[in-house]
Amino acid sequence: MSLPLKDRVTQDNPYFAPVLGGTPANTQYRFHFDMTKCIGCHCCEVACSEQNNNPAGINWRRVGEIEGGSYPYTQRFYLSMGCNHCLEPSCLSGCPVDAYTKNPANGIVLHSADACIGCQYCIWNCPYGVPQYNEERGVVGKCDMCHERIAEGRDPACVSACPEEAIQIEQVDASEWRLNYTGMANSPGLPAAEQTISTTRVTLPVSLPTEVRKADYHRVRPEHPHLPLVAMTVLTQLAVGAFCGVWILAALGRIGNWKLASIVAVAIGMLALAASTLHLGRPIYAYRALKMWRRSWLSREVLLFTLFAGMAAAYSGALESGLRVASALGALTALFGIGGIIASAFIYLVPARPSWNSRHTIAEFFLTAAMLGPVFLSVLGFSLPLFVLAGAVGQGLNQGLKFLWLIRSDEFELQGSARLLSADLRNLFLARFGLLIAGGIVAPLLGFPMIGLAAALAGELLGRYLFFVSVVPRNMAAGFFEAGKVAA
Amino acid sequence: MNWKRALGVDTLSEKYSYVSDPTYGYMAAEKAADTWVPTTCGYCSVGCGMLIGVKDGRAVSVRGSCDHPVNIGKLCPKGLAEHYTIAAEGRLTKPLLHGAPVSWDRALDTMVERFRSVQQKYGPNALGVISTGQLVTEEFYTLGKLVQLGFGTNNYDGNTTLCMASAVAGYKRSFGTDGPPGAYEDLEKADVILLIGANIADNHPILCQRLEKNQGATVIVADPRVTKTAMLADVYLPVKPRSDIALVNGIMHILIRAGLVNRAYIEQHTTGFVELERFLEKYTPEYVAGITGLSQDLIYKTAMLYGRAKAGFIGWTMGVNHSTQGAETVNAICDLALITGNIGRAGAAPFSITGQCNAMGTREAGFASSLPGYRKFESAADRAELAGLWNIDVSRIPTSRGLAYPDIIEAAVGKQIRALWIIATNPVVSFPNISVLRQAFENLEFLVVQDGFPTPTSEFADLVLPAAIWGEKVGTYTNSERRASKANRAVPPPGEAKADFDIFLEIARKLGCDQELFPGWSTPRDAFEEWRKVSAGRPCDYSGMTWELIEEHGGLQWPFRAGDEPGLTSRLYADGQFNTDDGKARLFCIECEPFPEQPTSEYPFVLNTGRTVEHWHTRTKTGRVPILEAMSPRAWLEMNPRDANRMKLRPHDRVDIVSRRDRVRGVELRVTEIVAPGQVFMPFHYVETNSNLVTQSAYDPISREPNYKQCSVRVERAGEN
Repeated sequence: MSLPLKDRVTQDNPYFAPVLGGTPANTQYRFHFDMTKCIGCHCCEVACSEQNNNPAGINWRRVGEIEGGSYPYTQRFYLSMGCNHCLEPSCLSGCPVDAYTKNPANGIVLHSADACIGCQYCIWNCPYGVPQYNEERGVVGKCDMCHERIAEGRDPACVSACPEEAIQIEQVDASEWRLNYTGMANSPGLPAAEQTISTTRVTLPVSLPTEVRKADYHRVRPEHPHLPLVAMTVLTQLAVGAFCGVWILAALGRIGNWKLASIVAVAIGMLALAASTLHLGRPIYAYRALKMWRRSWLSREVLLFTLFAGMAAAYSGALESGLRVASALGALTALFGIGGIIASAFIYLVPARPSWNSRHTIAEFFLTAAMLGPVFLSVLGFSLPLFVLAGAVGQGLNQGLKFLWLIRSDEFELQGSARLLSADLRNLFLARFGLLIAGGIVAPLLGFPMIGLAAALAGELLGRYLFFVSVVPRNMAAGFFEAGKVAA
Repeated sequence: MNWKRALGVDTLSEKYSYVSDPTYGYMAAEKAADTWVPTTCGYCSVGCGMLIGVKDGRAVSVRGSCDHPVNIGKLCPKGLAEHYTIAAEGRLTKPLLHGAPVSWDRALDTMVERFRSVQQKYGPNALGVISTGQLVTEEFYTLGKLVQLGFGTNNYDGNTTLCMASAVAGYKRSFGTDGPPGAYEDLEKADVILLIGANIADNHPILCQRLEKNQGATVIVADPRVTKTAMLADVYLPVKPRSDIALVNGIMHILIRAGLVNRAYIEQHTTGFVELERFLEKYTPEYVAGITGLSQDLIYKTAMLYGRAKAGFIGWTMGVNHSTQGAETVNAICDLALITGNIGRAGAAPFSITGQCNAMGTREAGFASSLPGYRKFESAADRAELAGLWNIDVSRIPTSRGLAYPDIIEAAVGKQIRALWIIATNPVVSFPNISVLRQAFENLEFLVVQDGFPTPTSEFADLVLPAAIWGEKVGTYTNSERRASKANRAVPPPGEAKADFDIFLEIARKLGCDQELFPGWSTPRDAFEEWRKVSAGRPCDYSGMTWELIEEHGGLQWPFRAGDEPGLTSRLYADGQFNTDDGKARLFCIECEPFPEQPTSEYPFVLNTGRTVEHWHTRTKTGRVPILEAMSPRAWLEMNPRDANRMKLRPHDRVDIVSRRDRVRGVELRVTEIVAPGQVFMPFHYVETNSNLVTQSAYDPISREPNYKQCSVRVERAGEN
């Protein structure tokens, strides 16, 4: 009989004896990687994929290369990494469905394919690029330290395949590690261990060149566009902007076609939520995303936008019927909507994705709402050119300042984003500004609301597309080639 | 995608489930085998013991054999994914005559009839045969008799001439016969290990665990490129391309001056020292520094390390062999080992680290570059002995070796060779200066290609014969340390594909020579039994081995006579007796000459070629293994940043590599300090961007091995021409 990994773990089935010595709560297993021994043969990668029946291109263990010095004093080293089974695993804290657990008995971070809905938020959160999305399954997977093999008294597949004994399993006292990991968990070619407190101990060569480069230092490629999320974020923001506008105008006593405006806005909001499920590997389990609202911004986003949509529908009805509670419902709609946008933005504020992790993201999302809401309403006969103008100028400034921030940064990932926007994606980036000016400035001033909406919406969609593709994630060093991996 | 998967109800949990295998523990359920078939790896000649996992009649996984003396349970990434080669799509399953499927009968009738008519028209030697290092010894032995005695042509050689011929020729000159003197164990026992032009971390990674176990040893690596192996070194010698002879001569010069040579050993076991000593006078550290680019201090330090070693090991591979002075370089290396007495003892050996899984088998049993059992074509006694063993007239045994591989090709260009039979090798990717080969193919009247997969070479064939591959047939492989190991059949070959052995016997039947050459034979074991008798008393003595004994002990090293104790490490020349007339080894005076194609202003770069750990040779197999392809999907060109900056080239730019012969288009640039300014490196595995479009037709006059390394090229941004 065979079952997926996590589902063999039950209270009655202590699948795995606690590590020896120390208190179980404090002692955990970890990897030790000896950089002085690794010869970059990739045996561990192949053995791992064989162990887990993973297809080519999904490597739960990866080997990267770093290089420093100049010929003939060149130094080359390799990094072999599975999961770092962190003390503060960011994959786990972001997961909206509680698919991750950190086993209290041994510290191994486990992922359950059964619980996973394929939202891939963990991939954005992990600074090491450890969780990988398996297209074929619709779920994420990652290194589980072959804990079932350890339980059988065997080494993990990578450890037993290594001809150089460069990888080992060790035990570590978590509280001690918390105090002294800095000197042992950090390495050139790896993101800083501070972010998640990686437990992997790395033995470094005695002398390393002062400047060490990743073998893939020049390979910066556009990331996955996540088109359902482009549609979802922009359209929810439009709907929130529209309802805020409706509520303010109604409160100010302006007369207008509330019925049409609110029905269309609700429809757009619903469409956006529906679109977001297409992003999931397992759309039918989208509802599970509500589960971890106490911890995960993704859960909170789903919850707040669901409340927003429901309240917006109620508000529309109340406006139509002229009920006195309408204004209060409108206020709640706006509140949930704004809350939803905040939750949306916070999803992207993750240290592992530096170009997202800034105030520019919050500003971008709100400015999209501030501009598209009034643009949308102006199509329905509400003349709001100044609001549109303010939103457009704000968004233009925000994007410009973000680009300046990127090109001035010393950080590799931020520089990479700037490089993408100014090279590979340059024409799209310029078009994004063109559409913003056309839809947000020229059309409202000249009084072409339909053209304005089309251009402004296209501009924001394109902008959001660029937001997704121009991010350069933190990751461990890779090889010169990408090993077939497509980052999510 | 079905609706269950689209909605996410189904996550293929069956495919991604696990079970606990009773032997190998918890693993993916699809990889857990019903039976584990012991065998030997079919890639390189490290010769790792392994098991193929078979489930429902398919090869689904592999494991290294933990008790095998060679690899102790470990496998390289190619070996760890080797089952995919058997299960790969696109195998040849039927004989193809001019592209159309035909029966075996028709195919072999046609082949024999065409070969015979060419031989009648142009003489027996108008038929050429090029084989490989990847059949089992039993097949090599059978093929040699079939070609030389059945077809009656001596224009028969293997792709081993593209690989190890320089080591073979060098050993013959220095020691009297071929045969690597040392053993892998020497890598654990030596206190100084000098690797020359050998990137074992990429090419023989499983040997690296020997270095890992020998922490006390000083590892010295001489290579123009800072390879992965160079990074393992305690002392790295960034020699200029092809300056290794000067380095070795320089070391000998210093050691003679310092009195760090073994006068007693030289006296008793060598000839030619007086001439050598006089010859080496000019190889002063200053002179050698000028040629090698190394500092005098570094040369001196290296000499002292090796000279003071209790057991000094010298290993080499293609950096030495792929050269117009390949055989001579081997002689210089042997000189150094001999005058310091570093041979025939634990840890002390000059040692060529062979390429293909059974290159050794064809060298010993193959009847191509020598008569079976390291007998000499030139020796009447050897010929008479063989004729007696085979019960044939001695006049049928050729008195000289036929053409070597490159010469067979050039003879086809010149129309002296009119028909060609190519077995398990892929010259359209691997032959230097491919345009010559294409011209040769155009001139042929009939080309037969026998292989497991369609290859770029089989595209040119008139007749394609589908052969079984590793994992589908039985026999023995002999590795670099002269260890014969058993290869077994885990699954049957697909369709009508047949083991090469069966193909050879069938051809013999068609020729009518089967009863004479292979009386009563039906399986490879029959060939092995005869080979045991034929090798008896020879340096490569298999007479005491049986298939059963070989399997029981994880391989046996030759010489192994009846009654020899299995499991002991064997070294050649432990008694100081060499296979020359007087029993003494020969010392050679080898001048370091400039390589043939020097860089010019028009072709300013020296191109070096080599391998990467993920791929094997021309990717006929590894190119069909998805995980290996994903890790190393295409070729790259390494260039130093100083050159790249000057040429305004950036990492990942596509470049063309242009020589006087041709142009390799669109190679991805890797800007790296791994290579020296003025040098570039690219891997040779990729037919899509084939380095052999630009390599040269220059061969070692002794070994006939091509000078693949060091051709002069220029690099251009792709698309400019």
